[in-house]
Amino acid sequence: MTSNILILCATGMLVSAYLMVGQKALLTTIRLYGAQSLLLGIVATTIALAEGRHELLVTAALTVTLKAALIPWFLLRTVDRIGIHREIEPALNVPASLLVCLGLTVVGYRVSTGFLEGARGVGHHLIGVALSLLLIGLFLMVTRKKAITQILALLTVENAVFLVAIGVTEGMPLIVELGISFDVILAVLVLGILVQRIVGRFESMDISRLSKLKG
Amino acid sequence: MNLLLWTLTVPLVTAGVGGLGGSRPFKELTMVGGLALTFGLCLATAGQFLSGHMPAAFGDALRVDGLSALVLVLCGFVGLLSAAYGVGYLRRNERRGIVTPRMRREFYGLIPAYVFAMLFVAASNNLGVMWIAVELTTLASVFLITFHDRDTSLEAAWKFLMLGSLGLGFALLGTVLLFAAAQGHLGEGLGALNWTTLMEAAPNMHPFTVRLGVVFALIGYGTKAGLAPMHTWKPDAYREAPSPAVVLMAVGMLNGALYCILRIHLISKAALGPDFSSGLLLSLGLLSVLIAVPFILIQWNLKRLLAYSSIEHVGIMAVGVGLGVEAGAFGALLHMTYHSLAKPVALFSAGTLAQLHGSSDLDRIGGGTLGRAPVASALLVLSAVIITGSPPFGLFFSEMTILRAGFSGSHVIVTSIFLAALIALFCGFAYQIGRIVTGPPAAPSGTVVEPERMDIALAVACIAAVLAVSSAFYLPAPLLALIHAATQVVWGTP
Repeated sequence: MTSNILILCATGMLVSAYLMVGQKALLTTIRLYGAQSLLLGIVATTIALAEGRHELLVTAALTVTLKAALIPWFLLRTVDRIGIHREIEPALNVPASLLVCLGLTVVGYRVSTGFLEGARGVGHHLIGVALSLLLIGLFLMVTRKKAITQILALLTVENAVFLVAIGVTEGMPLIVELGISFDVILAVLVLGILVQRIVGRFESMDISRLSKLKG
Repeated sequence: MNLLLWTLTVPLVTAGVGGLGGSRPFKELTMVGGLALTFGLCLATAGQFLSGHMPAAFGDALRVDGLSALVLVLCGFVGLLSAAYGVGYLRRNERRGIVTPRMRREFYGLIPAYVFAMLFVAASNNLGVMWIAVELTTLASVFLITFHDRDTSLEAAWKFLMLGSLGLGFALLGTVLLFAAAQGHLGEGLGALNWTTLMEAAPNMHPFTVRLGVVFALIGYGTKAGLAPMHTWKPDAYREAPSPAVVLMAVGMLNGALYCILRIHLISKAALGPDFSSGLLLSLGLLSVLIAVPFILIQWNLKRLLAYSSIEHVGIMAVGVGLGVEAGAFGALLHMTYHSLAKPVALFSAGTLAQLHGSSDLDRIGGGTLGRAPVASALLVLSAVIITGSPPFGLFFSEMTILRAGFSGSHVIVTSIFLAALIALFCGFAYQIGRIVTGPPAAPSGTVVEPERMDIALAVACIAAVLAVSSAFYLPAPLLALIHAATQVVWGTP
């Protein structure tokens, strides 16, 4: 039962990443990220209850409040305020992007078999999904041009790291996890401020326009 | 309260006070006084270490061994230099009437905050705490890059933050993987992520997981250090940030990131044997040195030129460690020390020239600056001589130490390429600096040049130059003892 829930949620996270790749409306992409974080929270809760690792409940609570609620809310507000709602044509079109992501998933799963826990069972899926998410996040970051999408790509990478942390360790020390969450929130705030300044200056959040500095 | 905690609290309080209101003299006094006190405390902490007590706090999450003490002292030193120069820097801009209240707040708040974050990195003995501290340095420096609020500074800040955050994401994954690799050998609580605990558990780590973790962590912290090919944020950030902040990046942040790299390298060495991470460091270092060559030759901006020089120097340090012999490690740490002394002179003189010409672009500065700004130009030439590793200055000795270590070991071909790149860099630098300093004394049309005057900033640059030159002939015994202690840590003899 537990392993079914875990695999379902992990797969859900992967699906949300694929949907992000196939999506151009920024508001939907942000909500997809929120859903992905919620699933991460469920994974953490399930493991916490099943294995009696109660400090993981704090991780889950942090994940849900910060990444499934607060950060999406902040980003949605930023998008509303600057009034730009759609991603422009990415460097690689959607079908081709999805194919690349499929390849990345295969790579992620292949690498996951090298882990001690990775060769079997639930751990295999968690690590496989996490590494695929990581690669897809990187791919999104390279191919997308809107500042908000790049932030979401970064946050996806961060979710992937947390999935690894939950999946293969017995839980990071709590104080470290709190510190990391605090830093992530701060980083998103700083990024949000920067996006607003960029939009105020260039009347666009198309990052490909930021290309004066070379050499 | 423990001395180490005071060392971290003082810059933090300074940042808080500086970021709030207050008159200008009060803010200037707070920043310089606070960071002078910080440097004093860094020295005292290092002194405590040398006298045999290892300063530590929070169950060894913060702990000062030889390597920490060296980085702590160097960071405290540039913190003070940067604060003193910063006062003069902002006064020059005040005189030109281009300083807004926002700038004052950010400047006096963020510079001490940046110093705090660096010292926090240097004092950390816990991979989790170290990661948090490095992230804090990133966040503290973003708004220093956007300080002048130009189009290009937003671009630089965006690139810096995206690349930096991605690097830190990798570093976090690396940390998690290293932690995962040692499951069952670590114990409970915060201490489980302590570097010392991980080092003890290293021989029992799961090799595949360690290897993956080391790669991610080295790439991640390598991004912060500016090792090629993750160096691309560096030239942009150096051009846009005000010179006092660039000094903190070029010396403090570089040393801090190298500190993290060395910690990861040591775990890898203990878990996998010496070859794996040494090879990675050697190739990243060599690539950094090589990549700097063409960009220095075609450079169009003075501060970007110094950014590529800093990429070169971090490459040299990585090569020194990556050679895998004790003399190489010693050379790298000696290089770190001399680089920390020499780089501020270069940045202060370049920053002064840029301020006088209203831009750091070479086509705006033109040639013949020796006639227009003799002191700053002379300092720039002197610093160029020092940082290209010419005798008789310190960086020459450290580079020779690394080269000798390379030629006497098993990496003769790599060392030969390295030597060729160093010579090419010397020539490139000489060409660029010569082009700026010599020539007809008239400024390029369209540039309004302010006359040079002996203000606080230039005085600080001169003091830094005196220290950089005299260090070649006389390195204080305690500092040398710290370098040896740090070498022991990096070389792994207890």
